[in-house]
Amino acid sequence: MAVSQNKLVQWIDHRLPVFTYLDHELHEYPTPKNLNYWWNFGSLAGAMLMIMIATGIFLAMQYDPNVGDAFQSVERIMREVNYGWLIRYIHMNGASFFFIVVYIHLFRGLYYGSYKTPRELLWMLGVVIILLMMATAFMGYVLPWGQMSFWGATVITNLFSAIPGVGKDIVTWLWGGFAVGNPTLNRFFALHYLLPFVILGVVILHILALHQHGSNNPLGIDRKGPQDSVPFHPYYTYKDMFGLSVFLIIFAIFVFYFPNLLGDPQNSIPANPMQTPPEIVPEWYLLPFYAILRSIPSKLLGVCALFGAIFILFVVPWLDTSRVRSAYFRPVYKWVFWLLVIDAFVLGAVGAHRPEGWWIVIGRIGTFYYFFHFIVLMPLIGWFERPLPLPPSIAEAVLKKKRHGADALLSPLAPRGEP
Amino acid sequence: MKPRLVIPALLAGAVVAAAVLAQPAQPARAQADEATPALPNVSWSFEGPFGTFDRAALQRGFQIYSQVCSTCHSMNLLTYDDLAGPEGLGYTEEQVKAIAAQKQVADIDKSGKPIQRPARASDHFAAPFPNEAAAAASLGKAPPDLSDIIKARAGGPRYVYGILTGFREAPKGFAMPPTGGNYNLYFPGHVIAMPQPLQDNSVQYADGTKATLQQEAQDVVTFLTWASDPTMEQRKRTGAKVVLFLLAMTGVLYGAKRRVWSDVEH
Amino acid sequence: MADSAHSHTADAHASGGTRRDFLVIAGNALLGVGAACTVWPLITSMNPARDVLAAGAPIDVDLSSLQPGQQVLVLWRSRPIFIVHRTPAELTKLQASADTSLLRDPNSAVLQQPPYATNWHRSIKPEYLVLVGICTHLGCIPEFTPQPGGSLGPAWPGGYFCPCHGSRYDLSGRVFSGVPAPYNLPVPPHHFLNDTTVRIGEDPPNSTFDFDSIEQI
Repeated sequence: MAVSQNKLVQWIDHRLPVFTYLDHELHEYPTPKNLNYWWNFGSLAGAMLMIMIATGIFLAMQYDPNVGDAFQSVERIMREVNYGWLIRYIHMNGASFFFIVVYIHLFRGLYYGSYKTPRELLWMLGVVIILLMMATAFMGYVLPWGQMSFWGATVITNLFSAIPGVGKDIVTWLWGGFAVGNPTLNRFFALHYLLPFVILGVVILHILALHQHGSNNPLGIDRKGPQDSVPFHPYYTYKDMFGLSVFLIIFAIFVFYFPNLLGDPQNSIPANPMQTPPEIVPEWYLLPFYAILRSIPSKLLGVCALFGAIFILFVVPWLDTSRVRSAYFRPVYKWVFWLLVIDAFVLGAVGAHRPEGWWIVIGRIGTFYYFFHFIVLMPLIGWFERPLPLPPSIAEAVLKKKRHGADALLSPLAPRGEP
Repeated sequence: MKPRLVIPALLAGAVVAAAVLAQPAQPARAQADEATPALPNVSWSFEGPFGTFDRAALQRGFQIYSQVCSTCHSMNLLTYDDLAGPEGLGYTEEQVKAIAAQKQVADIDKSGKPIQRPARASDHFAAPFPNEAAAAASLGKAPPDLSDIIKARAGGPRYVYGILTGFREAPKGFAMPPTGGNYNLYFPGHVIAMPQPLQDNSVQYADGTKATLQQEAQDVVTFLTWASDPTMEQRKRTGAKVVLFLLAMTGVLYGAKRRVWSDVEH
Repeated sequence: MADSAHSHTADAHASGGTRRDFLVIAGNALLGVGAACTVWPLITSMNPARDVLAAGAPIDVDLSSLQPGQQVLVLWRSRPIFIVHRTPAELTKLQASADTSLLRDPNSAVLQQPPYATNWHRSIKPEYLVLVGICTHLGCIPEFTPQPGGSLGPAWPGGYFCPCHGSRYDLSGRVFSGVPAPYNLPVPPHHFLNDTTVRIGEDPPNSTFDFDSIEQI
């Protein structure tokens, strides 16, 4: 099918079918027409990745990755470089907003069963992206070489010493010295520059996997025909641009009016290897995992729990035994999902506080519940829950909702077709 | 709740929750625990989305830094140039050159020997000690550099104001440590190495303002806030333009989205 | 039903103007403006920062120990600056037509110097010459060879010899014909604070000259 009459376009396309591909993805690729705004967060994540890469490259032009000068080079960017303060604040707050967006995107997947067949690999690629994001963010936080940069790096790299036998050697290898120092900073800079492009590659795989079977939708039922979908462009391109614009307002308010709210004052103090700050706290997006790490009294088991908390996400498609995708039709799981969300916030609060008094107890309960949710509740609820009957098709469900209101979807329909 | 409102409500709630939970529970932040009282409430010219720096206060604050604080505290990240112009303290180039020339900085002469020479406008602020070790040797503990002090302390301006105005006699029953120190209401642990730096009339203000302790503290904190964040005014101005533009664009894009979707049942 | 939904949209596109309405165009326009405004700070961050510009400020050089016939080299804006104290004999030679006829641009017609240095000595005070020591061919630093004759041949009047590709300049920095370099050595803005101190990088009080407007640094 001719994409365009333009001869140049045709010449290129014949040799490298980018235009045919783009045309298909935009104009033909069928997207369910009932997606709600929770489906905007994937494109928001993509936008944030672009913003982080762009601002990061321009920061890297001015940054000096040596322990004597790193802190001062970041201050120079803030004070002397044209719009340096803006690029730095966008990058700094962008990391937080990237995580906000990706966490919401993840929870969207958990709620609507977007990880269920045939999207298991899509989900797992997403977990890989989150892992890479955490590594990137951790190393990026070290670069300004403030007190929290240095001590956070010391604590987290020391985690690996928990590995029996080779642990200490691995830590020395990571450090490149007897402690976190110049070799560590240099390599973290190199890797921090590299990983976002690895993330970009995995994102491309993630999108390719998505396009194989198309998006899930709030009802969790498959598309039956063209009446269930619309072409991605212009419907979702405009919806995504609108969503991006709303998101940017909130982002801009933080960047311009509360640029240091999500950060830690300790990191405005140059790193001092001879003085530990009163509290060592990672950035907020790592707090729940930090809480899980600290709630296990054993060093090795704590590290296992930390990584386990992320790795368990890989096997979610097999932990959930429900044959119904969307929590919309799963009366029990629906509430259990929100308990998990609350648990995540509680763990975050625990991670932010010193491990003393009630916080220790709450942290342990929260950690227990987190694993309990995935290992016990997900399989059991899937087996024993009686899901509500599914609508026969997206188009019919949309019509029904328009005529009788959203609640009508939850009442049994006359049996017609398969779920 | 109406489905339409769920998303905005959750987003707003998530933002607020994030902001609230993101406050690490550091002792210095304690608003009102038994140990440290709530930080004093002062109204600052620079607070709020439209706040700006009061240039008269900045100049008074700089005077206090120059005459009192700079005896012990460096401000290595600032240059004398930074003081000039409308984004600085409002001094002219000539005034800034004169301010710089009063200070001596280290340099090397043509034969490579270390010398002291008058500072130029492009030099960083002259430091009282060549390095941290020298400061610690002279004073017992190295006083922190003040370039970023407002950003580096939870509570920011209120905290530093509290420290400056919070020196008191140690209450009955409070045991001062054997290593000495000074009792301060707001410093975590109440014992601060720095002796009280400011009192009423520590300086004679060039513009004739009455130099009470509160006035001096407010002025020097205003100056230090500027020093930590000299681009604040540009940031807030640009922010207003950006947010207004985004609001307009969001409105238009919402209309466009509705238009595009108007032919589909959804 | 399926077809009509799809062709409905296709119609919308095919019919061009009917649905392409104001909101959609305005939305795209605003996005474009927004994108441009976002890219601008990134691009301009690459321009010299405030501290780099401040480091390019004028420098003062003390000439009291510079003997006649000697040259001193200083750095201004990261560039080598030659300051030469010329002897009376050298100054006389510079005006001799036998030598000036060999020059490519003896009257400094090409804009390589401020107006107050557009003369045969290419400076304010004849005895002191201030030049940017960068060969106008491909950027090497020419060697100071004030002695006539020698290894450059008996006709060599004294001046500068660039070792990279053999360009030659006289003791006013004027380029000889027949060498690769196209222009005279540039003269930076400068003026004398007093008899023994020259300030490089600043014009005399009642003249302005944009140094960036010269032909070739």
